[in-house]
Amino acid sequence: MAEFVFCFIALCTCVFAFLTVTARDIFHCAVWLAFCLLSVSGIYFYLDAEFVGVIQVLVYIGGIITLFIFAIKLTAHIDDKTIKQTNKQILPAALGAAVFFVLLFKIIGSNPWAKIQPDAPVVSLKQLGLSLMTSYALPFEFISLLLLAAMVGAIVIGKVKR
Amino acid sequence: MVKFAHLIPVFPFLAFLINIFFGKKLKDTSAFVSIFASTISLILSVVTFQGVIAGEGSYSLGHWLTIYGTPLNFGVTVDSLSVMMLLVVTIVGTLIQIYSVGYMHDDPRFPRYFAYISLFMTSMLGLVLADNFVMLFIFWEGVGLCSYLLISFWFERPAAARAGLKAFVVTRIGDTGFLIGILLLFFVGKTFYFADLAHVSGNEFFLTAAALLIFLGAMGKSAQFPLHVWLPDAMEGPTAVSALIHAATMVAAGVYLVARTFGLFVAVPFCLEVVAVIGGISALMAASIATVNNDIKRVLAYSTVSQLGLMMLGLGVGGYSAGTFHLMTHAFFKALLFLCAGSVIHAVHTQDIQKMGGLLSKMKVTGITFILGTLAIAGVPPFSGFWSKDEILLEAWNSGHPILFWVAVLTSLLTAFYMSRLIFLVLFGKPRSDMHAHESPKTMTIPLMILAFFAVFVGLIGSPMTHHAFQGFIKFEGHQITGEASGVGWIMGLSTLVGLLGIGLAYLFYIQNNKILPAAFRSQFAFTYKLLLNKYYIDEIYDFLFVKPCLRVCDFLSKFDFAVIDGMVNSVAEFTQGCSEVVRRLQTGLVQNYMLVQILGLIIFILTVSAFAQLFLH
Amino acid sequence: MIPLGFFVALSAVLFCLGIYGVLVRRNVVGILISIELILNAANINLVAFNKYLGTPDGMGQIFALFVVAIAAAASVVGLVLVIAIYRNGKSIFADDYNLMKW
Repeated sequence: MAEFVFCFIALCTCVFAFLTVTARDIFHCAVWLAFCLLSVSGIYFYLDAEFVGVIQVLVYIGGIITLFIFAIKLTAHIDDKTIKQTNKQILPAALGAAVFFVLLFKIIGSNPWAKIQPDAPVVSLKQLGLSLMTSYALPFEFISLLLLAAMVGAIVIGKVKR
Repeated sequence: MVKFAHLIPVFPFLAFLINIFFGKKLKDTSAFVSIFASTISLILSVVTFQGVIAGEGSYSLGHWLTIYGTPLNFGVTVDSLSVMMLLVVTIVGTLIQIYSVGYMHDDPRFPRYFAYISLFMTSMLGLVLADNFVMLFIFWEGVGLCSYLLISFWFERPAAARAGLKAFVVTRIGDTGFLIGILLLFFVGKTFYFADLAHVSGNEFFLTAAALLIFLGAMGKSAQFPLHVWLPDAMEGPTAVSALIHAATMVAAGVYLVARTFGLFVAVPFCLEVVAVIGGISALMAASIATVNNDIKRVLAYSTVSQLGLMMLGLGVGGYSAGTFHLMTHAFFKALLFLCAGSVIHAVHTQDIQKMGGLLSKMKVTGITFILGTLAIAGVPPFSGFWSKDEILLEAWNSGHPILFWVAVLTSLLTAFYMSRLIFLVLFGKPRSDMHAHESPKTMTIPLMILAFFAVFVGLIGSPMTHHAFQGFIKFEGHQITGEASGVGWIMGLSTLVGLLGIGLAYLFYIQNNKILPAAFRSQFAFTYKLLLNKYYIDEIYDFLFVKPCLRVCDFLSKFDFAVIDGMVNSVAEFTQGCSEVVRRLQTGLVQNYMLVQILGLIIFILTVSAFAQLFLH
Repeated sequence: MIPLGFFVALSAVLFCLGIYGVLVRRNVVGILISIELILNAANINLVAFNKYLGTPDGMGQIFALFVVAIAAAASVVGLVLVIAIYRNGKSIFADDYNLMKW
């Protein structure tokens, strides 16, 4: 049963990702991305990482996709439907990506992967919070600094000069 | 007294250095520097002469190299021959330098001229003092270089530049033979020193070859047939240069060489014959050409070739003293004749004797000294030329070479004829063109007078009046060739007769019947006249046989160099450029292209590494 | 249970699709979207490894959280730049910028 669920969610993810990269209209592209991220969040839930899944939905879909849509609309072209969305290197890129995938697949296939441990610890939200504040406090602070810098930078660049 | 001899070439060398580096600042005083150095050399030569008379001899200055176990030292050879040459070179050289002050007065490169002359003096004096072949060769090249520099002194004139090149190339042929001969002699006779030549021994064939090759060098330097072609062209240089180098000293270096290596030649009698025969051919041929030439300097040039031929003839028949005696007298009267010619040219600004005439009345000193020089060369007693030429004739007769004897006699006749022709056409008669002739300045006439003194009286040193002092001083110590002298009286009479006959014929042609006879002969013997006027077409033959093919080869090589070698180098550059033309298209400026290349590169990298891993690790 | 390899394979699929998108899209916003895909592929890997081979303190999940934050910051700055360029009248298509051509 669990395998079937995983297959379904994984399939969704792949399909939506494929649609993302091949959409003609950039807006559609953003929407498909949103769905893809939703599926990824589903994967996280499947893996008992509820907090990450929720954050994924909140931050990514709630924040970043919104941002993308804003940016798309602010930079929209009148003739978006007729302009080519793909550049000239479609063939070599597809080929390269495919070959790369095949390579990765071979590598993955040739490895004996671990099965889930019966006594694997499930990380609880409380545990996450604790480690975030204690063992990983330094990266946490850095991240906040980074976000601050990004914010300030965005405001400065985005200012309309009078 | 003799131990200072090695300083003799040093002073002119210092003068050369001063004039070359500071000539522009010194301007006219550069002549003074040069003459001063030359005078010091002269004084030292006199001192050395006194030392030699007192019986001192050669000495060594120190070790230089060791070749195959044989040591080669810096040595100075001071014997009668070298000290005679020292005196001749320094006296004539100093006088000519004084003359040059007047002759080259307005020349813009005045200091450079004196620098070259000083360098020449150094080389010539060094040549005479060298005691082994290697040192002699070094100075030999030195005089060759100076000759080249001075012939093409007025290098703006293409004829002068070509003449310098011709002189260098032709003497080079001789020099190459000379060098090979030296080396051959070393490998056969195991020596470089002249002192050892008296008792040299070895493979007969190689010794002969060595001697012939060394003579080839002498032929080149002394302008003997067939390497005589450079000397007439060398007259493009200043006349003082012609006097010094191409009459008195450098061309005598070849004769000096033969005399110096006489021991070797005596050991290989065949070579002596060759020397005499070539001398005879050159003498007669050059004298015949001189009878019809119309350029005053070229007549004297051919005369030089002829007289050198006589010297070689004298040496070749075994007359060591006779040949060197003539060398000494010739140096003086030929230098005098050239300087007189220079004086004439300086006054009338032309070299064509057909345009001159009647100059005696306007240029007294030059004219009289010119006549004295002509009488000397014609062999009229008691002038110097008579005594030395007589010695040669004596040697030729007594050594059993009748043909060469008559060749020498005929040459004497022609010599007297063409020299008299020269003075009759230049000094006597009516002026044949508008000339504003005037006597030359004192700096030019005084050397003329001094040289005339020598030309007249120096021959008496070897005459019966002084009991043949010269012959006693300079004689070959080794194996004597000629026996007792016989026929002294009638030979003396014959040579006097021949000289006077030559003068008389010239008088007939050019003074008495000067309107009829020359023209008649020219039309009667038209072919001969043309042949002689064109110098037997030897230059043209050489041009056809050697010069043109050589130029064709050079042309081909030049094209080859341009097409193939430059082509190869250029094609390397073009290939690089072509490659870069292709490769630069990789830089499209589009970031996505670069990323694609990265991905593809990564793929290739992974594949390669895994392939290696599979090949080598399993 | 599903072996870990399936999750890694899924991540690989997403990654390759993301690479394809980056290489092919003309619109800069499209490129940024594809970059998000790549980042998510990495995230899946992190969380999956954490579940199967994880440490008690949940290092993988925390790492994933940080990646989300950084991705957010990155796309913020990127999009603001695109908007600023657009506002200046310049093109927002990546092919139009080839100043560094040979």
